[in-house]
Amino acid sequence: MEYAIECFDLHKSFGTHKIHKGIDLKIVKGAITYIIGPSGTGKSVLLKQLCGLMSPTKGKVIVNGQDITVMKPEELVNMRKTFGILFQNAALFDSMNVYENVAFPLVEHTKLPKNKIDAIVAEKLRLVGLSNIEEKMPSELSGGMRKRVGLARAIALEPEIMLYDEPTTGLDPIMCDVVDNLINDTQKQLGITSIVISHDIESTLKIADYIAMLYDGKVVLYGTAEDFKTTDNPYVKQFFSASKEGPIKIM
Amino acid sequence: MEKVLSFFGRPLVNIVEVAGHMALLFYSTIKLVFKKPFRTKLLLKQIEFIGANSMSVIILTGSFTGMVFAFQSYIGFHKFGADQLVGTVVALAMARELGPVLSAIMVAARAGSAITAEIGTMKVTEQVDALNAMAVDPVHYLFVPRILAGLIVMPMLNAVTVFFGIVGGYLVSIKVLGINKTLYLDYMYTYIDFEDFANGMIKSVVFGGVVTLVGCYKGFMTRGGAEGVGRATTESVVMACVLILIFDYILTAFMF
Ligand SMILES: Nc1ncnc2c1ncn2[C@@H]1O[C@H](COP(=O)(O)OP(=O)(O)OP(=O)(O)O)[C@@H](O)[C@H]1O
Ligand SMILES: [Mg+2]
Repeated sequence: MEYAIECFDLHKSFGTHKIHKGIDLKIVKGAITYIIGPSGTGKSVLLKQLCGLMSPTKGKVIVNGQDITVMKPEELVNMRKTFGILFQNAALFDSMNVYENVAFPLVEHTKLPKNKIDAIVAEKLRLVGLSNIEEKMPSELSGGMRKRVGLARAIALEPEIMLYDEPTTGLDPIMCDVVDNLINDTQKQLGITSIVISHDIESTLKIADYIAMLYDGKVVLYGTAEDFKTTDNPYVKQFFSASKEGPIKIM
Repeated sequence: MEKVLSFFGRPLVNIVEVAGHMALLFYSTIKLVFKKPFRTKLLLKQIEFIGANSMSVIILTGSFTGMVFAFQSYIGFHKFGADQLVGTVVALAMARELGPVLSAIMVAARAGSAITAEIGTMKVTEQVDALNAMAVDPVHYLFVPRILAGLIVMPMLNAVTVFFGIVGGYLVSIKVLGINKTLYLDYMYTYIDFEDFANGMIKSVVFGGVVTLVGCYKGFMTRGGAEGVGRATTESVVMACVLILIFDYILTAFMF
């Protein structure tokens, strides 16, 4: 099997606070991998290490065969063209309107003429279920709308690897379905490698090719949706049954 | 002993660390100035923000300083009947010292703080990460236009400050203090050289770099939410002002 990203014995601490205590994870190329786990276990931090936005305290991250933890800043910047990233809080540029936000990667990295860019922006916004908001500023949008604009911006360049940090959190059920389908479709149509962080068990089991569950700085289980449904791993069972009884401590 | 060492050592290490970090950032910014793409639109926006929008405050600063300075120096010169020298002293002080320093401090308070607040907010809301994520170097995107604008605009603001300072001094001297107009101007022309203005101009280029670099640096290093942004903004103004005064001394000593 071919891997888009591999990480080996990844450790990450902030000061004395250990977040990751040796994560080994391989992300299969062209598949959708979901990362699940309780709040605060370091899912977002892991995602940022996979694309070099944060460097691990120890360990290796290999993207397309290259160790990104030893890259120079310029190489890292270049390497990131491989990625499209949806941040947990969307991270829209608040000095730019919606159009400028979505057009940003296109303006920066392509030489497309204005009308081409306009068309792509409109198309991506339509894909996430938004229209006629090009002129609005991010501060004028609802949380869910902001997230979808962030999603449109992340997929604008049709990157090789998509990282989604909780793409559906804060969306209504219909929009959740729209975004789930979008993740599924982009992957099926373009063969994009997708990594999704999610708290939505149902859609995780529905869409994921592979799932990794994170707890206490480690991967407690990695496998297919089928593996997860049939496992008797106590962490997974507790997490799926949304129960406060079990090995996962409530802090 | 150890305690004493760490009491004096810790801040010293911090200062050296920050200075080194800033020097590195300045160096990489200067390298990136010549790297494509040239973001002319962002540069113009910053020139407008740092320069054009500072104009009113700069005019006020310049004219009032000149006016006050005329009064104060008159007190001294009048004692030995050298009233006509007031103009020379006002112009000299404005051009060499007060113009560059006061305009830089005003810009630090107005634009430097705003630069820190803006970049700091971008930092804590992951917008800087987003730039990185979209393979855009934040130093190239955020620092270069601001620092370049600072280097370009600061000397212009200095010129405006000096001009209005001299005009303010002139008005007070002639209209209020009743000093002889012809003598006043004569002395001023005779004793003021181009070098005096050039001196101040060089200073203000340096100050423009200092204010914008500190603004960017402090913003970029911001941590911890809205409170962090507030703290960084205050620190940015204080640090910029202190550095302006220190660099002022160094430059004056060099160009003396
Ligand atoms: N920049 C940072 N500096 C210090 N600590 C951090 C930083 N970023 C994250 N952390 C800490 O790392 C831990 C994991 O954070 P992370 O955001 O990855 O959690 P998460 O799994 O994404 O949670 P959620 O599901 O709520 O988004 C948290 O305890 C957080 O306090
Ligand atoms: Mg998170």
